[in-house]
Amino acid sequence: MVITELYIRNFGKLSERHFYLRDGVQVISGENEYGKTTLHAFIRAMLFGLERGRGRAAAKDDFSRYEPWDDPGSYAGVMRFTCGGRSFRLERNFARQTKHVSLVCEDDGEELSVEHGDLRMLLGGMTAELFDNTVSIGQLKAEPGQELSDALANYAANYYETGGGEYDLGRALKSLDEKKRTVRRELRGEEEAVGTERKKLLEKSRYLEEEIRHLDAEYKEKERTLSGLDDPERMDARGKSGSVIGGVAAVCAGIALLMWSLWNRAGSGGELSAASVLMALVPVLITVAGILLLAAGCVRKMRSRRNQSAADEERRWELDRIRSEIREKEIRRENIREQYEESGKSDRQLRLEEQCRALDLAAEELQRAAHVTAEGMERSVSRRASGILSAITDGKYRSLETGRERGITVWDGERRIPAGRLSRGTLEQIYFCIRMAAAEILTEEPFPVILDDVFAFYDDKRLGSVLKWLSGQGKQVIIFTCHSREEKLLHSM
Amino acid sequence: MRFIHIADVHLGAQPDAGPLYSRQRPRELWDTFEHVIRVCEEERTDLLLIAGDLFHRQPLVRELKEVNYLLSELTHTKVVFIAGNHDYIRADSNYLTFQWSKNVYPLLDEHPQYVDFPELRTAVYGLSYQSREISRPLYDGLKAAGRALFEILLAHGGDDRHIPLDRQALERSGFDYVALGHIHKPQIMSRDHIIYPGALEPIDKNDTGKHGYVKGEITESGVRTQWIPCARREYIHLELAVGSEDTTGSIRKQIKKKINEYGNENIYKIVLKGKRNRDVFLDPGRMTEGENILEIIDRTSPAYDFERLYEENEDTILGRYIGRFRGCREGSVEYQALCEGVEALLGSRQ
Repeated sequence: MVITELYIRNFGKLSERHFYLRDGVQVISGENEYGKTTLHAFIRAMLFGLERGRGRAAAKDDFSRYEPWDDPGSYAGVMRFTCGGRSFRLERNFARQTKHVSLVCEDDGEELSVEHGDLRMLLGGMTAELFDNTVSIGQLKAEPGQELSDALANYAANYYETGGGEYDLGRALKSLDEKKRTVRRELRGEEEAVGTERKKLLEKSRYLEEEIRHLDAEYKEKERTLSGLDDPERMDARGKSGSVIGGVAAVCAGIALLMWSLWNRAGSGGELSAASVLMALVPVLITVAGILLLAAGCVRKMRSRRNQSAADEERRWELDRIRSEIREKEIRRENIREQYEESGKSDRQLRLEEQCRALDLAAEELQRAAHVTAEGMERSVSRRASGILSAITDGKYRSLETGRERGITVWDGERRIPAGRLSRGTLEQIYFCIRMAAAEILTEEPFPVILDDVFAFYDDKRLGSVLKWLSGQGKQVIIFTCHSREEKLLHSM
Repeated sequence: MRFIHIADVHLGAQPDAGPLYSRQRPRELWDTFEHVIRVCEEERTDLLLIAGDLFHRQPLVRELKEVNYLLSELTHTKVVFIAGNHDYIRADSNYLTFQWSKNVYPLLDEHPQYVDFPELRTAVYGLSYQSREISRPLYDGLKAAGRALFEILLAHGGDDRHIPLDRQALERSGFDYVALGHIHKPQIMSRDHIIYPGALEPIDKNDTGKHGYVKGEITESGVRTQWIPCARREYIHLELAVGSEDTTGSIRKQIKKKINEYGNENIYKIVLKGKRNRDVFLDPGRMTEGENILEIIDRTSPAYDFERLYEENEDTILGRYIGRFRGCREGSVEYQALCEGVEALLGSRQ
């Protein structure tokens, strides 16, 4: 594919500008603020469209950055290019209200449909992301505080692991990890809620246990007083039977005395004397007293027996009540224990656990997929990148190796040199090599290479080698620069 | 002879009935039981058959008193019940010592017993659980002994750990009617002959569908039964198809509409299915507006065309990742992992 003409109606700081391009290496030079980066962005927007970001991201995205302030309706442009021997005219209007795209084959006037993927077919598998990661080359950038060599190693490793750098493995894994942390947090909340319910059951059961213990003690106490009362009662009973015994003894004594006095009287000849009357009266009195005593004793005993049985019944009833209350509470405690044993994980808990497992599995598989991808990529891209590096360094560095653990190393024929010991210029060249190698391998159609201020750290010798190498590739190369030496070197070649 | 056959009343259970009704739900189980007793009284039903699990756990004396009072108020109906696996006869069971009203006939022995009602020309057979589980098929060899004109078997069980039942053995057993309990879903094993009325009220969130009891009549010419729904509430599982246009708000509206249609006196579990838009985040926590919903389960997956993504990205990590999950079933953990990973990868693009 070769871009032949760019017409910008209005795009960022550029308006009503025409650029005519040709095949092979060419330089678009201009001072700072000339609009080189804008032109670069315009090419990308023409090829892949300008998607508007959403929400807060929208304020900083390309759409807003290049939207003209005064006449948003003229936010548009045209690109002419050739591809597979045919010429095309691609026209886009980016404006919010009048968004439009058309693609016409200029050879036969055929209208093609961008919506249906005709442009994608012409681009031969090149996507916006792949474009950003291969043929569209800027300077190597490091995160603040990061060594440039580390940035390059990360870049290369990710490049291989994701198969072209379109995706960021580290970021993907991090987002999975963050999600897992969120799910874990939810899971903990749920576990706590379930735990609280279970704890409540335990508390209830313990409370009942306590009540049962109290009732048990009460029961024992009542039982003890019941048997303790038995003793004085028995004493009391002995007292009562004492009067009965006394009564019986008195009656017996009275009768014996009476018999004896009668016997005496019969013996003395039956005279009725005062003494004999007296002697008869005493036993009678004793007998009567004994009978009275006996009767009183019996009455008292009967009465106390009746009282005792009523009290006994009351106590026994009380004991029964306590016992049944204990039983009732025991059953309730058992029921609660049953409920406790049945209460397991909630459905939500199970679901969250499953989600955790899915996220774990996703992270694992992602790493495995990265490994497999890296193996395939490394074989093809590394070999090609080594070839390019060797060409542009005039054979000084013969091969290039990359890996997550060891970082990037180059082989100079004698030693493996870690990237940390290489100059900024060489790091930039390695970066360039990897991208050029990937562009060759990942795209079907030779695609224009866009180099945006890439050579600032190259010395003249190496710049010459790179330009020479580029001219030999049979590709359209567009170099944006603010220096004049690229153009001079090209002319002298 | 007219009878009403209920089972699995589970008095004392505390079913999860959603944010609105869980508190009053235990009371409602009693209310529906009372309702059936009232029906017996009004219709002068001859027999009320309770096929086990009248109580959810071991009954307390005060609960038995409550039930006994309700049953003793029946002026015509006689009641026969057995204990099931939930209220099984433990050594200290209150069932064993409780004095029932004279119209109530418990069959609490572990071996089959029967009660004879000469005035109804009916005998009712049954046995009670003495433990939580019985895996022996106790009913398989049981035969109607011919002690009365009409013979009924009251039985509880029907799964592997709770007296497995053999339908054909029951059919041949000679009983005019087999009143079953234990399975909470109403189900007819043999028409007008062997029937699970289902739980009187749904007890668990998986007891979906309508619940009620069986009303029947046995005459010389045979048995006729009718299933009568009477449960106050119903557990309803709703599946909502989510499309690429749906958002949390649109789903909330659909849920509201559906629940208005089915009635908010019911208890809902909502499962979201289908493909949601890749850029939409669904928040089940914001999908309800005071409806009685137990839970909302999000089973949607982002609308990725995995086949296409695979073909277009075969050589990149995305394609290889999708390739690792080839053939996994939708809804499985693997499928979830696939969606999560693809989402993470696509989100990681610079």
